[in-house]
Amino acid sequence: MKYKAIAKDSIQGFIDGLIERRRVFAPVEGEKTLRFREVSSGEEVCLDFYNTKLSSKEILFPQNEVLFKYSKDLGAIEAKAGISKNGEWVIFGIRPCDAKGLTLTDVFFSSGEHGDQPYLDKRGRTAIVGLACNRPLNSCFCTSLGSGPFGEEGMDLLLMDLGEKYLVKVLTEWGVRLIEATQGLEDASEDDIETAMKLSREAEKSIRTEMPTEGLSEKLDGMFEDPLWDSVHQKCVGCGVCTFVCPTCWCFDVVDEETPTSASRIRLWDTCQFPLFTLQGSGFNPRPTRKERMRQRVMHKLNYFPKEFGAFACVGCGRCVRECPVNLDIREIIRSVMSE
Amino acid sequence: MGGNEEKIRELADRLLRDGEVDLIIGHERGTLPLRSSPCFVTDPEDLDRLIWDPTCDINLAKYLHDREEHIGILAKGCDARSIAVCASEGQVEMDKVVIIGLPCPGVISRKKIEAEMAGRDILDATVTDEKITVKGEGFEKEFPTKTFLDDSCLSCRHRNPPVYDVLIGDPLPEVADGDEYAEVDELESKSAEERWDHFVDEISVCIRCYSCRNVCPMCYCKECFVDETMPAWFGKTNEITDTMIYHLVRAIHLTGRCVDCGACSRACPMDINLRALTKKAEKIARERFNFEAGLSPEETPVLGAFKQEDSEEFII
Repeated sequence: MKYKAIAKDSIQGFIDGLIERRRVFAPVEGEKTLRFREVSSGEEVCLDFYNTKLSSKEILFPQNEVLFKYSKDLGAIEAKAGISKNGEWVIFGIRPCDAKGLTLTDVFFSSGEHGDQPYLDKRGRTAIVGLACNRPLNSCFCTSLGSGPFGEEGMDLLLMDLGEKYLVKVLTEWGVRLIEATQGLEDASEDDIETAMKLSREAEKSIRTEMPTEGLSEKLDGMFEDPLWDSVHQKCVGCGVCTFVCPTCWCFDVVDEETPTSASRIRLWDTCQFPLFTLQGSGFNPRPTRKERMRQRVMHKLNYFPKEFGAFACVGCGRCVRECPVNLDIREIIRSVMSE
Repeated sequence: MGGNEEKIRELADRLLRDGEVDLIIGHERGTLPLRSSPCFVTDPEDLDRLIWDPTCDINLAKYLHDREEHIGILAKGCDARSIAVCASEGQVEMDKVVIIGLPCPGVISRKKIEAEMAGRDILDATVTDEKITVKGEGFEKEFPTKTFLDDSCLSCRHRNPPVYDVLIGDPLPEVADGDEYAEVDELESKSAEERWDHFVDEISVCIRCYSCRNVCPMCYCKECFVDETMPAWFGKTNEITDTMIYHLVRAIHLTGRCVDCGACSRACPMDINLRALTKKAEKIARERFNFEAGLSPEETPVLGAFKQEDSEEFII
């Protein structure tokens, strides 16, 4: 049976069961805001929320990550990989937009001859348990970017909140294994599935942003020198909020932190919105002003990435819209481009 | 505030048509409820975009840096003081700026209002000087504007711009309703260890997005100390040792320059109370040197000046 149901008061037990054999990351209140953290008990998990402040990308692609350490004793260099390779992980309670974001992150980190091992090592052992979105925010626009509040892409299980219980849709073999030993799981009724479909339709209808994106990428093809870029960046203050909260921004910097005898090589989030991102050793900067940097962000998400990989690098989660300190709204930029 | 939008637009229209300025920088309605956004107008036909209400919480002085044009800028008390500080530091040429001063009873705190919503999404809002009305799925709520102002506004000492070319609206009585140093005093009363723990809790969530720095009109350095790479001056991680240095050094750099507009705290996506640090720095400048930043474009920056009567109790 593809569908199961679990009473809400059994969900903690379900998570506790997962924790017995796996590392589980889920939305946790505290640290001033709701974000994904490793949990040691189902009690810590918050499943009543709109969306987390930061996406779950910080679990698989942490803001700083030691790639390896090395010591310089007696001239010999000994490198130690910073990543342990054991065990299964679960990201629990991820929204459909962020799960879709994860599939795009996978595409990026798998590309090239070798792929990105620090990411892929973690990703390969991480199961995804999604949580459908009954109440999208008015800054959400997932339906304009080919996804939806009940989207299933990138998940092994999808939980749907039916009020007293969750409907559980099993999407992969891995999903089957996740629920194997779960107490309190029962077969879902036709009514449950019917209710979920109704909620899905309602959630989709409640999304206020309707924005055509058909042909957007092609439209941007001829717009590199468009006067639009002269005005659209004007209010941007050049911080990195939009990219740091974005589930599909994955640019990074690599630095060595050294002591006289040892050092760590660390990977850090970076952002195309900082001038340092493209500052060259010679002092030349090919993206010297916010105009070029803003254009880069928009073009990369909506033109370069689609051309390379066949999908927008934006899932419409709305975080950049909500968190921008000056309310620079990417939906407005998309509308301007479409109306050109 | 309300009722003055027409006067603002009329003045802006005259300034643009007479060629006195090339550009008007003001506020426009935001794309989300309770939000405004900066607005740049060069064509008089677009002036109806300009708004002036308690959602206008962005410090527009930020946008005067590195500009060639003659600019007319809307300025609340804190914006005007920021412009004055930047002018006193040689960053803004006052003869290229027309300051449209706006007496300001305070801007709203979105975060305070959202905290009252118990997780419900606001779909629509109207904000006047008296009340904030928010609507969402199955609810409508009203809040008195006065009690949902930003913390920096609750204890504002300069609601009337001390520097302006034209003033629109009647001057407001200069009263600070709140005890402006309550939070600083409370922190000062704690032990060093307790204070350290407090700031570690606050700062450890920092994601180094630099929104606090980038919305601040005083943070105009061409190369910020955090961006030094050859060699790097300190680590770039979001570990507490790195983030703490960033925030402490930034607060020190703002001493005697910060006008307490609160923009940094409003901008922070992680809700760090950055004002607690800058307010302490502001308090020191005021107590030690009887100095308030931004009262005149001709002022000498307090840390760039020496007077015989300067307080020296900290010199051993």
